Amino acid sequence: MSCSIELKNVSQSFENNSSTKNASEENNSTITLFENLNLSINQGQSYAITGPSGAGKSSLLMLISGLEKPSTGQGSFINGDHISTLDNLRSDIGFIFQQFHLLPELTALHNIALPLKLRGDKQAIKKAQHWLEKVGLSDRANHKPSQLSGGEQQRVAIARALVFSPKFIFADEPTGNLDQHNATEISDILFSCCQENNAGLVIVTHSHTLSSKAQNIYSLSNGTLTKAPTTSSVNDQQVETQQVASC
Amino acid sequence: MLNHHMQLAWHYFVQEYHQPHQKLLRWVQAILMVFIVTLTLSSNTIQQYLQGNLQNLLGADAVLTQKDKLTDKQLTSLVSLSENVVNTLQIKATLTFNDKWQSATLKAVGNDYPLQGELLTSTSLQNPATVTKGGPIAGNIWLDSRLFASLTLSMGDVIKLGKQSLTVSKVLIHEPDRLMEGHNVAMRAIVNLKDMEKLAFPSDLILHRYLVTAEKHQIKQLIEWQQEQLPAAKIHHKSGAHPLALFWQRTENFLGLASIILFFMAAIAIEQIAQVHLKKEQYFSAICMSLGASKATGLQLSLFKWLINILVLIPIVAILSGVFHWLVVNWLSETFAEITWQFELWLTVKTIATSVLLFAVFHSPVWLTLCQTSVSKLFHQNQKSISLGLVKISAVAVLVLVAVNYSDNGLLTSMLVGSILITIMLMAAISWLVLTLGEKTTQQFSGLIPFTLFMMKQRLLSKSTQILGIGLSTFLLLFTLMFLKDLGDTMMSYQRTHDGNVMVSQASQPEMDAIEQWSKDNDINLRQSKSYVYSKVVKINGLTLKEFTTKPSDSLATLSRSIRLHWTKSIPKTNRLVQGKWWSENTEDWQQISIEEEVMTDLSLVLGDKLTFIIHQQSYTFTITASHVYKPGAGSIIFWVQMPETAIQHINAPHYNMASLELNDDQWPLLGQLWQKHPTIRMVSLQEMTKQFDDILSMITKVISGFAVMIILLAIIVILSSINALESKEKKKNSVIMSFGFLKSTCLQLNIIEWLITALIIATGAIAGTYITGMLIYQSQFSLSYQPNFLTLFITLTIILSTVTLLGIYASRHSLKSSVKQLMADV
Repeated sequence: MSCSIELKNVSQSFENNSSTKNASEENNSTITLFENLNLSINQGQSYAITGPSGAGKSSLLMLISGLEKPSTGQGSFINGDHISTLDNLRSDIGFIFQQFHLLPELTALHNIALPLKLRGDKQAIKKAQHWLEKVGLSDRANHKPSQLSGGEQQRVAIARALVFSPKFIFADEPTGNLDQHNATEISDILFSCCQENNAGLVIVTHSHTLSSKAQNIYSLSNGTLTKAPTTSSVNDQQVETQQVASC
Repeated sequence: MLNHHMQLAWHYFVQEYHQPHQKLLRWVQAILMVFIVTLTLSSNTIQQYLQGNLQNLLGADAVLTQKDKLTDKQLTSLVSLSENVVNTLQIKATLTFNDKWQSATLKAVGNDYPLQGELLTSTSLQNPATVTKGGPIAGNIWLDSRLFASLTLSMGDVIKLGKQSLTVSKVLIHEPDRLMEGHNVAMRAIVNLKDMEKLAFPSDLILHRYLVTAEKHQIKQLIEWQQEQLPAAKIHHKSGAHPLALFWQRTENFLGLASIILFFMAAIAIEQIAQVHLKKEQYFSAICMSLGASKATGLQLSLFKWLINILVLIPIVAILSGVFHWLVVNWLSETFAEITWQFELWLTVKTIATSVLLFAVFHSPVWLTLCQTSVSKLFHQNQKSISLGLVKISAVAVLVLVAVNYSDNGLLTSMLVGSILITIMLMAAISWLVLTLGEKTTQQFSGLIPFTLFMMKQRLLSKSTQILGIGLSTFLLLFTLMFLKDLGDTMMSYQRTHDGNVMVSQASQPEMDAIEQWSKDNDINLRQSKSYVYSKVVKINGLTLKEFTTKPSDSLATLSRSIRLHWTKSIPKTNRLVQGKWWSENTEDWQQISIEEEVMTDLSLVLGDKLTFIIHQQSYTFTITASHVYKPGAGSIIFWVQMPETAIQHINAPHYNMASLELNDDQWPLLGQLWQKHPTIRMVSLQEMTKQFDDILSMITKVISGFAVMIILLAIIVILSSINALESKEKKKNSVIMSFGFLKSTCLQLNIIEWLITALIIATGAIAGTYITGMLIYQSQFSLSYQPNFLTLFITLTIILSTVTLLGIYASRHSLKSSVKQLMADV
């Protein structure tokens, strides 16, 4: 049964307390990132959110994933006929970060096994080995993150995020720290793995190359979220992606 | 440029002032400095007081003391080597009046007394003191105000001492030759030399003190003459050492050695803190260099910042040390009358400077690392292992310096250091075992505990360091508290095993006969009695005591005075043979001795060594053929040195006796009768002995408790610094776990489980380490037998477990202030 995340009329703002040149005056201004935003994220589909720095892309990501509450509006998690708050989404989401954030004292294999071990999965190592193969790093199982390149670390991070079969993956600039070649490879793996596992993928990125691979492209700018038209080339690229990375 | 750097350093110092790693470092440095400065100042005050005591209260340029009267020839030699000689006699006696008694030092002087200084007396307790020339006339006695009050006397009262009656005619206010030779502030009385003769006390109980005026070169000749002709005598002079100087030097050394424990803990804390320092300082320096600054700039800034940190501490340390020093002096004034507190600026500065140098050694790896910093470190961040190795080496260097400075007992030092090393290895082994086995055995299970064990095993190195640090601190604290408890229990049990409630420590043969008769007449239970002669060790293997060993020790200090030499046919019930062979009952080889095992160890004596004694002015050499220890259950009259019974036929010396009596409540007043007739019988009630023990125990308790407080403070700092060192990693770990969909409560649960496992390893290691240390140190150094109480151990285990867990969880609460958002923001 497919799930989705719905944001209805959400706004996000925060107080900015700054002191002016006169010590006795304090300027309390509210900074609004976006207002009355509506967005629907379906499981199994890929989404890219682009926009200039400071537009609120990461904040939007936090709202969609349920890690933060909006200033106004509401987020819902729709699981078939059942509608609940985004708090129920917690155990079904995974994250991929620009900085990878692998635990340095664990090997690649153990980093991937981590979420399964936390869930008490007795097959954790076996499943982790399977995922290590999927991302093409089976020969690096016992290597620590410091012994892996950036691209390899991000592959481990992707495997770690997907190993426990989450319904949604949220990626914040996943190729931000990678060179062109690695970025292409990683994005291919990411999209194909998410598709294969029927996980909804939401990517926040500056990269046009990366965002163009998504089925749905949104642009957040000046507090407004607009959907960019999807091109057939996106679909073509997804087909190619399936051929490049076996997931 | 330097000025600019100093300003910059001040700016960064202020910025970083409240950061945990700086706060922790300040605490460690402050605690150590306060301890060392207080110890040094207190020691100095005591030594100065003793010097003053020696200079002002010797009452002569030199004083020669010995048990026997100088022969005419010896007196002639003494007179020829000096300008003036005044003879005084001294004996410990118990004075009685009505139903009261009080032990005191009874001195006899002639008209030529005092030799130097002023003798002050008064005609009543209220009247002012006047200078008096010469002692009391025959038939009179002068008592000091405390003795006066203790016996509730009035002027003109008559005291019966043996067969003599003496009239109380003056209050003794001040004697110029009251050199402190012991820590007992004994009450005093003075009689005329002629009265001492009439009292006819046993001659070898009387201490003959010859006050001498002499030039410096004469004193030197006197000392040489005494060593040759009168090896059993003692000579004190103003250029020499005070009799108590060595004891207090040893006390200082012991406490200083104990400070190794504090330095060790500080080293652990600083090593943890240094990890944070290294990272931050190196990062800052590399950034500065990437902006065009030189390597020297980063180094200078770090150096100046550290110096400012120290300078800010100095006034606080100086004030606190001054206060503690004042408290110590106040406390010591019960023992040292008229000791005064004085602020010693130069000594304080010197000691602080030395401590700062030691801290600089601790911190040097940070600076050494900065010398190797470059901009490339910003790209490759995995270079810390060498720097951390340097931190460990510098910590070891400081510990060695401290040990060398304060060690005067190689055995104790090596045992202490050895115990610490054994505990480290033990703790490391237990950590590895628990985590490895724990992870393997729980692999098949699900849940947070298997996960925690898995994570701890993966992070074995960093976790082991944390466990070692906290574990060592816990071990040191546990050992200190356990030692305090066991020492107290041993002293209490010693009293309980005492036979009888009155201990006779010295009674001549006629006095012993009188005691036996008096016991029969009054139906008093005479439990046991043992005979001895007084003897003084003058040579070991042909060498004088000074030549034999330069290392001071308690045994050596005791052997420099007369000791009791007992004779026995077979091994007494109060002893157990440890080495060698006991002599047969009627052995002809009478020149054998058995020595107490503690003394053997203390002086590094072995079977076959020869000891030469002076017994009643005759020299006798004995060979050590056995060694014994105390065996409880058969009484408490024991002797350090014992010889065969057949030896006594060859030794011409007065016999004395030790005995124990059991008195009922209504029999106590009868003691006065015995003392009145035989004032030189040395008897003490168990109550008084208990009080003495209580006083000693109270003093030891205060010192050890003060020490324990410092250990607790440092232990908390070690815990905090080890948590601080790992905080950023912990935060990241928690954020990553939350990114898998888990809540903060899961992270808290994991934290609790981790600390429980850590605390369990620590508690086990600390208790095992304490047990081993107890086995090693107790018997050889403190003559305590180590008998662990397993119930106590279990309770201790529980306390350590809960304390470390709660403290660890509370201290690591900041690591829970993490979120997935922070991981995103961490770009």
